[in-house]
Amino acid sequence: MAEIKLKIKKKLDFPLETDSITPDNFAGKTAAVIKKLPLFYATKQVTIGDFFDVSGKSTDVADTKIVIDGDVSNVKRIGEKMTGGEIIINSDIGMHIGNHMSGGKITVNGNADDWAGAMLQGGELEITGDAGHYVGSAYRGYWQGMKNGTIKVKGKVGVESMLWAKSSKPSNKWPTLYCGSADSFLGIHNHGGTIVVEGDVDRCVGADQAWGNIVIKGKVSRLLPSYKKVGEVKEVQLPNGEVIKGKFIEYSGDHTIKKETNGRLYIAA
Amino acid sequence: MVEKIRTEKDVSCPFCGTLCDDLEIDVDIKTDLVVEVRNGCQIGTKKYFSSNPSDHRYMKPLIKVNGEHKEVSWDEALDKAADILVNAQRPLLYGFSSTECEAQSKGVELAEMLNALLDNTASVCHGPSLLAIQDVGASLATLGEIKNRADTIIFWGSNPVHAHPRHLSRYSDFIRGYFRTDGRNDRNIIVVDPRNTHTAQIADKYIKVNPSEDYELIQAIRAVLRGSELDVKEVSGVPIDDIKELVEELKSCNFGVVFFGMGLTQSLAHHRNVDTAIRLVAELNDYTKFVLIPMRGHYNVAGANQVFTWNTGYAYSIDFSRGYPRYNPGEFSSVELLLRDEVDASLIVASDPGSNFPAASVKNLFKHPLISIEPHKTPTSAFADVILPAAIAGIECEGTAYRMDGVPLRLRKVKDAPGETLPDKEILERLIEKVKEKIGE
Amino acid sequence: MSLDNLILLTGRTISQGVALEGGKASRENVRACGICTFDADDFKKLDCIVGTPVKIITDYGEVVVYSTITEEGPHQGIIFVPMGPWANQLVNPSSQGCGTPTYKGMKAKVEVVKSGKVLGAIELIGRLKEA
Repeated sequence: MAEIKLKIKKKLDFPLETDSITPDNFAGKTAAVIKKLPLFYATKQVTIGDFFDVSGKSTDVADTKIVIDGDVSNVKRIGEKMTGGEIIINSDIGMHIGNHMSGGKITVNGNADDWAGAMLQGGELEITGDAGHYVGSAYRGYWQGMKNGTIKVKGKVGVESMLWAKSSKPSNKWPTLYCGSADSFLGIHNHGGTIVVEGDVDRCVGADQAWGNIVIKGKVSRLLPSYKKVGEVKEVQLPNGEVIKGKFIEYSGDHTIKKETNGRLYIAA
Repeated sequence: MVEKIRTEKDVSCPFCGTLCDDLEIDVDIKTDLVVEVRNGCQIGTKKYFSSNPSDHRYMKPLIKVNGEHKEVSWDEALDKAADILVNAQRPLLYGFSSTECEAQSKGVELAEMLNALLDNTASVCHGPSLLAIQDVGASLATLGEIKNRADTIIFWGSNPVHAHPRHLSRYSDFIRGYFRTDGRNDRNIIVVDPRNTHTAQIADKYIKVNPSEDYELIQAIRAVLRGSELDVKEVSGVPIDDIKELVEELKSCNFGVVFFGMGLTQSLAHHRNVDTAIRLVAELNDYTKFVLIPMRGHYNVAGANQVFTWNTGYAYSIDFSRGYPRYNPGEFSSVELLLRDEVDASLIVASDPGSNFPAASVKNLFKHPLISIEPHKTPTSAFADVILPAAIAGIECEGTAYRMDGVPLRLRKVKDAPGETLPDKEILERLIEKVKEKIGE
Repeated sequence: MSLDNLILLTGRTISQGVALEGGKASRENVRACGICTFDADDFKKLDCIVGTPVKIITDYGEVVVYSTITEEGPHQGIIFVPMGPWANQLVNPSSQGCGTPTYKGMKAKVEVVKSGKVLGAIELIGRLKEA
């Protein structure tokens, strides 16, 4: 695997927008060329070389691995629209990490800010710390958000994660979120997303869910009154093929929406 | 006989989103002072009187020198303001809700020139309503329709007796309408609020909801409406039988309306409270006619949303930093930007974030140069580096304002602007010229 | 005396509206906005007379305001501070990603501070400006 190392060399007073940092944009380029790629800092267009030390070189997209060191907690849009390759970030990361990604893998060894994995179309996003609000969500005004791919957050995800997620049985696309715990409105307006939570979630999980599967291994702070108990199960079979073992109470919901819901919520018994 | 008083009739009041258009203002011809206001509420009346010169009305431009505000010429003040904006790396232009549409348009022009952040007070008020409308649409109507047709009126998280004092008498409660010829007696008023507000006390029905639990209650109402059986005794503090009774009441009315306010937008869940309220209204249209109208606070915040949208495609929380407008409330909202200290200069127009923003964000606002376009001394202007004294729109200069239901009304000029004050529009035009000079256009 | 486990709501009142138009630096503004309205039964537990200064504490800050009894009750467990500089020392600045702060619904506690000083708007906000 061809590796490119980026180390941030300036302290940021304003956010730095780095949608050019993707394996797709780095593929086939030398460090010297990569240094000239554009970034945005406040209102000025700058270059990667202005803010990062760059070393290494890349080959094709699928074999390109970008490793980012230094404090990039205020760097936004890394990995935007990438289709393959790998990015490893050894710090907290700013907003919009991996948005619109359709392939490849991003690992954040730290916390992520809001909109992590927004509009994900495929690929894998892994965050070892907590993530902010709107993980795997649709952007404003879009009524379909994450359509495929996997997001794994070891810690807590913020509000409205997996907003407007949309799966597709004919295309075998199952957008999936695994997280340690979640804030309120997890899976709101869910249209087929799969969510597995190791711990607790806050209020209004599965609000307005039309179909999808949400599995909570911990507790729910307040369940919506429009969810109905269906029965008890010894395991949950997820549409992506995975099986989660354990005793769960199965609920159907959200029975608030006008059409008949096919959504399911499983809470540990 | 020499005329001593000039009376202006059919004046549009520049205070709240009700934008009453029936005020009568008496101005003393010799002194050009407002001497009487008829038909206005307490607050609108006070606003007209506050336009008379006083110790808290700015008459000349001011620049802060050694901690004190010093009177300077317009040229000097505008020059300093332009310097601040041009030298800033990430300036914020905020406010715009208490001024007229042409001025708001100039604000957009200036923001675009500076590649700045552009926001209006919807950001801390009905922004969540706009977010919800962008997600799920909205069934709206004008206030005239409500006056003439509505027989069931719900105030949810809104207290018009205090915030929109003449709303009930002009449009939503006491007034006689074409199909509501018996006025109050032809209407059923329902209030949903954690407190038994003064509006609740004159309603037909008051539903006490637990604070921050409106979302669950509306979900329950929607579920009962579509025929789902709920297996609970109460939701958000409201007994299930009361919810069922309410649903029957709403289904059987002729024309219903939900007026909603900060109780939904400023509580936890914010735009999702409005999202589900909009869905409830839409779903009620399977049974009868139902609409909803947001109770906009400022008299022209709706206008700011309109003007920003015509020009940029977006209603508020806009970023021009990459040379074209981008929109993302949260990321580009004024309070969030200030909390993260991502703004290094601000131009505050026709608003008072010093009073109305959470303290932690005001702290960061004050860390950087601040220009205030403002008629009166406020907790924002008192700490500004440059004060550009404005004429009051709707009193001292005319323009267009948009009512809470989207109807545009013309604001009138009833007297001249005092001292050296200038209309917001003109101040922004002059500022644009100065900025153009400095960036070499 | 003190009260715990309260929920703080903020919002408009007509007096606050009149005061803000009449001059935000005025004494009228302090009397209209620098206040906390209690449910009548809750207020009895504080064992003080109406107008006594109280300190309100939330996770986000604290402020001293004058106490009054509500005309919009009963609302046991809820206190109300009109919108403005005093309320904004207490509100939750977080918008949970949507941009609008959470001005209503904070957990609060209240202590009577008989000799507490209720600051004017300009002085109160002036403290946010670092020297």
